[in-house]
Amino acid sequence: MRVRFVIADLIRNPRRTVWTTVGVTLGVGFFCAMLFFIDGLSASMTQRAAAPLAIDMQRVLTDPVAADLRLRLSVSPSGPAVPGDQVIVTLELTNNGSTPANEVVVRSAPGAGLTFVPGSAVVDALKAGSTDNPFASGLAQTGLNIGTVPPGGSVSMAYAAVVETAGDIAASTVTATFSTREAVLPIAANADEPLSLSDLVTQIRAIDGIAFATPLSFVDLAPGALTTGPARLFGFDADTIAHDPTIRIVQGMHSPGAALISTEAARSLALGVGDTTTVGLPDGSRLTVQVSGIVDLSRARALFSSRRGANLEEFIYIPNTVILNAAQFADIVIPAFSRAATNRGERIKAPPVREVDIGVDRALLDAEPGVALEQTQRIAAQVAALAGGQDFILDNISNTLAVARDDAGVAKRMFIFLGLPGAMLAAMLAAYAGVVLGSTQRRERAILRIRGASRRDLLAMLALRVGCITGVGALAGVGMGYATAALAIGQATLLRASAGTLTLSGATGALMGLGATGAALYLTGRRSINREINEDRAQLWHRPPAWRRYGFDLAGIAALLLATGMVLATSGFEGVPGSVYVGRAVHLPLGLLVLPIGAWVAGSFLGGRIFAQGLGRPHAINPDNAFGLLYRTSITQRAWPLAEAAIILGLIVALGTSLAVFAASYDGAKAADARYVVGSDLRISPDPAGGQMVGIDASQGFAVAGVRAVMPVVYGAHNVILRSDRTSDIANLAALDPLAFGQIAPLDDAHFPGGSAAALLQELANDPDAILLSTDMSQFLRAPVGTRLRVLLARGTPDQTEVEMRIIGLFDRLAGFPDGADALINLSRHLTAIPATQPAFFLARTTNQTDATLAQVTAALHAGAGEAIQIDTRQTALAKDQSSLAALNIDGLLRLDQGYALAMGAVTVALFVFGLLLQRRREYVTLRALGMQPAAIRALIGAEAGTAAIAGCAIGIPVGLVMAYYLINVLRPLFVLNPPYLVAPGPLALVLASVLVAAAGAAWAASALVNRLDATELLRDD
Amino acid sequence: MTAANAIEVRNLVVRHATASGPLTALDCPVLVLPARSSTAVIGPSGCGKSTLLCMLAGLALPAQGAVFIGATELTALSEARRVAFRKARIGVVYQADNLFPFLTVAQNIRLQLALCADTTQAAERTMALLDQLGLTALADRLPDQLSGGQRSRVAVARAIVHRPTVILADEPTGALDQANADGVVQLLLTAQQTLGATLVIVTHDAGIAARMGRQVALWQGRIAADSGVHHAR
Repeated sequence: MRVRFVIADLIRNPRRTVWTTVGVTLGVGFFCAMLFFIDGLSASMTQRAAAPLAIDMQRVLTDPVAADLRLRLSVSPSGPAVPGDQVIVTLELTNNGSTPANEVVVRSAPGAGLTFVPGSAVVDALKAGSTDNPFASGLAQTGLNIGTVPPGGSVSMAYAAVVETAGDIAASTVTATFSTREAVLPIAANADEPLSLSDLVTQIRAIDGIAFATPLSFVDLAPGALTTGPARLFGFDADTIAHDPTIRIVQGMHSPGAALISTEAARSLALGVGDTTTVGLPDGSRLTVQVSGIVDLSRARALFSSRRGANLEEFIYIPNTVILNAAQFADIVIPAFSRAATNRGERIKAPPVREVDIGVDRALLDAEPGVALEQTQRIAAQVAALAGGQDFILDNISNTLAVARDDAGVAKRMFIFLGLPGAMLAAMLAAYAGVVLGSTQRRERAILRIRGASRRDLLAMLALRVGCITGVGALAGVGMGYATAALAIGQATLLRASAGTLTLSGATGALMGLGATGAALYLTGRRSINREINEDRAQLWHRPPAWRRYGFDLAGIAALLLATGMVLATSGFEGVPGSVYVGRAVHLPLGLLVLPIGAWVAGSFLGGRIFAQGLGRPHAINPDNAFGLLYRTSITQRAWPLAEAAIILGLIVALGTSLAVFAASYDGAKAADARYVVGSDLRISPDPAGGQMVGIDASQGFAVAGVRAVMPVVYGAHNVILRSDRTSDIANLAALDPLAFGQIAPLDDAHFPGGSAAALLQELANDPDAILLSTDMSQFLRAPVGTRLRVLLARGTPDQTEVEMRIIGLFDRLAGFPDGADALINLSRHLTAIPATQPAFFLARTTNQTDATLAQVTAALHAGAGEAIQIDTRQTALAKDQSSLAALNIDGLLRLDQGYALAMGAVTVALFVFGLLLQRRREYVTLRALGMQPAAIRALIGAEAGTAAIAGCAIGIPVGLVMAYYLINVLRPLFVLNPPYLVAPGPLALVLASVLVAAAGAAWAASALVNRLDATELLRDD
Repeated sequence: MTAANAIEVRNLVVRHATASGPLTALDCPVLVLPARSSTAVIGPSGCGKSTLLCMLAGLALPAQGAVFIGATELTALSEARRVAFRKARIGVVYQADNLFPFLTVAQNIRLQLALCADTTQAAERTMALLDQLGLTALADRLPDQLSGGQRSRVAVARAIVHRPTVILADEPTGALDQANADGVVQLLLTAQQTLGATLVIVTHDAGIAARMGRQVALWQGRIAADSGVHHAR
């Protein structure tokens, strides 16, 4: 019976049912959309993080020239021993190679529970040393140098040890290693048989989850080996080229029997495809190869990333490069280095590096970066276990995924916080719907009570009604959430998340949204029922709500001001910017996100209080103006219901405003960050494959329409040596026109400790011997501001020249040098010392910062210079040197938030207006009966709705601006530079327009309904 | 339609849409009420009394037929003209007082004058009327602060303040005790006489009906009986 009545009631009152269901749908939809959005983005973070990596892992062979040396260790007798027993430790070193092993040092010491027997050591049956262990002598436990072991030769060693503690004796009880002049790193005794590079490749390929494994070798050659400068010799096959898109063959092709040569080397040596070139090897031999192709390696980060611990993964580009195939390198280059090490009698400083470049099967990786990290770490452990101890592994993908995992965690928390206001709004909207619509059921409930329905019956029917509405709303909400999330981030991105994850999110969102909105609807309905049943307590129910009686809004504002003061005093908004380049995740002070939410809620309620008190003040009313009389007295007498609507609208407008400001500021900050990374709007680099030299004076040619200023920059990795009185270091120096740099590059005084950017650049322009140093370099050189430095310019080239300069200031960061410039000088000084200087790139600033001008300038430059230049813009650099978090689709989230805010704003206005209609329909029909024209009634409804809407906007805009201030500051660590505070008029106007248009539309629809009301019934009944 | 007739109804048919199809709520071939007359419309619940009054007030349009108020065919007017005509010529009182809860007693009455744009000495006229009705002391009170009888008297005052030629009252005493009911009926009759208006009152109360000059009984939407006798009161 109850069920039939409730269903009939829901069907009989379609507007009431539909609007409440729409409110619940929006609430549940918002919850679900947020969760789906997070699922989709989290799922894309693995792909996003791994996408820039050409090589996932690099398995490096530390010292292949010692691969033919083996040290065998045995202990006799082995097994259980008691104190006093003596054992013999036997060591045998064998050289199975074709070259001698020089200055072989063997180190061995008994382990715990064993003591060396003095004078027991022998080498090839001859007593070695005096009484102490010669294989581990002195405090440093230095080993015994047994000299040169010829090819095919072996050396036998032995010593005795006494058992001190009972236990099992085995070879593992004793430690033993060896090293040679050629293989300086100690190699353990009884090590596994060393694997050749090809064997290692085969075994790595057999591991599950490996997509490819290709051998790669390289060695740096001294100046003169290829060109006058340093050169690098690579050995790899076509597989490597196929897997690494940054290796770009610009002319010719890869041929197994021939060599590829870099564009710079080809230009320097005037070589073309089909020509031959000669490479000098360290043993004095020369390798002559035919050039089958010319290759651009200037962006091949995987090839030129440092494999050395001190500057691991730093991109150190060597322009003059020759690429052999893997077999040539193994058969010719490696033996040449072995011979050189043997013959010259000195250690090779930069021996060949041999490695296996590994790609993980990305399709098998879990979408969630944390899970994917576990997968790649498992793969890395299996790779490292092959020929353990022989080499080490660079696990690029795990390092990247570790950052992505941390960023994903921060992202989830941040998104939940950014979505929280919307979710709170949905619950408030449902409660508001409950208040507005619940009161309209008074008459129906009265009839039911007359017919014998008890309070329990009414509550049961209320629960049933709420259950029906929220059930339908929840189902529709899940669908709406999925659709809107797919709209925001794309269906493909969303589907990267597993079905299980999406199902869980859908269920969670539905349950949470259903719970929140259902509870809000039920509790307000229940209160309405209690209110009528307890008529004697009616006065009690007329009390203002608790927030107003106890001044929660005022207390909230006071707490907010106090908390803000404390946060500012303790620099609480400062965080740690993240960067995938430096393997650092963002640290966001997410706890502070209570500040924007606090400002939002407390500010909106305070605004509502001020609004209601303003309305409640007596106003002069002209009683001869019917419209004025009705409107003014109505809003004065009903100030608080109007204020409640204004508060809800204020919350919505504030959310929309804050999101609009945050989105604009976020975009502005991302663009500024990108500009900072590029150095200006455009970075024009000579294309190594272009075949043309671009000189300093090319600036004029780049000053096309739309360019305000352009300047050349001389820069290079490790292009100078800086010497202070205390020490020296190789450094990256930039030389440029300081005054032009000040105009073109986005500089921040905060990055110039102890001085301003403008003043320091001016001084750099005035003083030709001035130099700016990075703070890190200044500390390393122990050279403070004011001291003098010796600077070896154009290091490693025939033009290198040393000059003396004076440090005039320091910088922490320099726009345009993401790899990190260590020093900055005036270009004119550089040209004086090195007249033949070539610029590394040019920086250009457009006349305005619009994307259209940028595109126009880029097109004009390409049209003019063709393939001779490469152009990076702030747009192409958006993803560089930012955390993976900043590169996330926060825009999508904000659009989602704003979309729901707009929809909820419209629903709130509609609820308010139809609430007015339901509550006051008798008044409106009475006005009709008294002779008020329909247009005037429409204007009256519109005026009240408009008042609520305008008040909501007036409350929401300032609150939203304050909320945005907090949001931007809390999320500041997402960016390299301090984000600007930008108010975007467009989106803001959209928020306001939607609320006002919704008010006007709802008023129009309501007045149309008034005309259709049955006056006979309404006016007669009490 | 003669000038002496204040209200004339011809072939009036009102139908309501129901689940089982259109239901004829009122079928009145002819009803003529002379000017300055008083008429009681009586009949059981649902017989079409209020519907008839609604048609006479021009609050809704019939399915067919015509209603004349004086020389004006009300049913031929547009909505806006009907509203303008109503506020100028007709005063309506219902069982529910339909006072605006946010307006004071004086404001409720003066609202009618403001709607008629009849602002000449509006305050004085309002206070004079309140004085006549013995409501002067309540002028600044809100409706919630009045008794049922007081509220009904205020409703009558609002219906007559603009001096209508037709006063329509739909069970104005339905919720009142006998003393208050008598008082309200007397007020209406006094106003009818003072203003020279035509009074139509819908009632279940035979005593009240008897005080009117004419009694029209409705049964299932049709006029079942009409005293047909008009006494100027």
